[in-house]
Amino acid sequence: MRDVETSEYVVRFSFWARFQHAAIILLFGLLLLTGMPQKWPYAEASRWVIEHLGGIFVTRWLHRAAGIAFSCLLVAHLAIAIAGVLSRRMQPSMLLSRKDFRDAIDNLRYYVGYAESPPPFGRFDYRQKFEYWGLIFGALIMALSGFILYFPILLSRVLPAELIPAAKVMHSAEAMLAFLIVLIWHMAGAHLTPESFPMDTSIFTGKIRKDKLRREHPLEYEDLFGKR
Amino acid sequence: MKQRRVWIGGGIGVAAALVVGLLAGGASGEALPESVSYCLNCHDDKQLSLTLKDRSVMSLYVNSREFAQSVHGSQLICTDCHARYDQNHPSGATFPSKRAYVIAAYETCKKCHFDTYTRTLESVHYELLKGGLDAAPVCTDCHGAHNIQNPHAKRAMVSRSCATCHVKVYEKYARSVHGKALVDEGNQDVPACAGCHTHHQIQQPGTTRFRLSSPDICIRCHGDQRLMSKYGISTTVAETYLADFHGVTASLTRSASPAHQQVVVTCVDCHGAHDIASPRLKGKEAMKAAAAATCAKCHKGASPDFPAAWLSHYEPSLRHAPLVFLVDLFYKIFIPFVVIGLVLHVLLHVYRMSAGR
Repeated sequence: MRDVETSEYVVRFSFWARFQHAAIILLFGLLLLTGMPQKWPYAEASRWVIEHLGGIFVTRWLHRAAGIAFSCLLVAHLAIAIAGVLSRRMQPSMLLSRKDFRDAIDNLRYYVGYAESPPPFGRFDYRQKFEYWGLIFGALIMALSGFILYFPILLSRVLPAELIPAAKVMHSAEAMLAFLIVLIWHMAGAHLTPESFPMDTSIFTGKIRKDKLRREHPLEYEDLFGKR
Repeated sequence: MKQRRVWIGGGIGVAAALVVGLLAGGASGEALPESVSYCLNCHDDKQLSLTLKDRSVMSLYVNSREFAQSVHGSQLICTDCHARYDQNHPSGATFPSKRAYVIAAYETCKKCHFDTYTRTLESVHYELLKGGLDAAPVCTDCHGAHNIQNPHAKRAMVSRSCATCHVKVYEKYARSVHGKALVDEGNQDVPACAGCHTHHQIQQPGTTRFRLSSPDICIRCHGDQRLMSKYGISTTVAETYLADFHGVTASLTRSASPAHQQVVVTCVDCHGAHDIASPRLKGKEAMKAAAAATCAKCHKGASPDFPAAWLSHYEPSLRHAPLVFLVDLFYKIFIPFVVIGLVLHVLLHVYRMSAGR
């Protein structure tokens, strides 16, 4: 049974999910490349990047274009997810529940040696859900503050203008936070971690090895194949 | 002991000789070399003059006292500069006008001051001269001829020479916070004309490039903590401008080609250039009004509240821009909190995965 499972695969991600992941890699990368030099414009490396992108105006233009695309992706994602869940064509598997908080505590207990095994996770474990909601709220904050900085005059007509420098601080700090979370939590936690090293390919191929699914998402495995 | 007394005696003798020498030198400050005195035999005459081709009369009088007291008085003789009058002198009226003579004669300065001379070749004044404007200033117009003084010691004097042509600008400057300090108090820290426009390589100030680099001129002094602390002025004025969107644009585009430059707000737009007044004396309300008028120049349709987007060089605090301060504070606490938590979680995970198996 085990030998069969190491060569059998289960479909885990739809084309839409894989497309979004690829688009985020591209857009997040472009936003970091064009945004970081604007956060530290006087650093030598920033000058180099800005110069090679074609100057500060091109850099800002690319940043705004990527920001608009990222915002569109966010809106599309939320619209499709909400419509999918409401029409019952999609499982609300990313929604947080009380179990996730219990899992987090149980998992930490397991890490420090108070429990024999980690809690059984469903389709997404609490770490993945935390990152997902971090991404959603982070993207909302980035888009909102980004558009305030993009259209400061429009904003000043409806809201206090002090929001503009506040949005600048927020945009810059939230970006830093997002970058660090992706670096530490996503790269180290999802790809470089011992069980997936050097990388977890399922978000790219859309498939997960059956034994990996059973190990990492036992509750989903049971839903699909029944209890063994 | 005996030897020592000889030493002391000798010392006193030398000192006395020095003092006598200095006194003699001081008293005979106007004693000029023989060759100079020879020229002055004729040129010390106020009536000595020459009729040029345009029928104008050029005085050939040299004030011997002025020359002796000038920086060159003890170093040069007449023929160092007036080399062509060595032989067959007097030579007669060979110049079409007095100005033509001056323009030809100033070339002699480069014999010693070559580096300075080459810098003037890149100046807007030389451009004008080359273009046929005889009135464009040459060395002697600013520094004088026989009465040249050390320009570093007499800064106000050099600025007054600018005023010969730039009267209105000079009047504005003389009333400004910098001008008043220089003209009235002899303050040596404030910029005179050349402090901002440079001495010899003076550039056309109307260009976008000059405009975009103008903050650097202000920051040279206003970013200098030691200098500013003398006057109780904060150096954050420089940092806050450079960190601002416009400051970044100005800094990063000034070396670009003109097509890639964009006019953005710089120091002078709110504070003025020649008529800079102390913001403390002008008061907050007047400065706010100046900022609002400046914003409105480019940002058409902005609300009256729009200038509040610029924090007027204040660092965000609970008093100034509390919202900005609180957002910043939140992230200063939140980011380390999240990052430390995540790093610990990842490390615990790796530890358990490797140790638990």
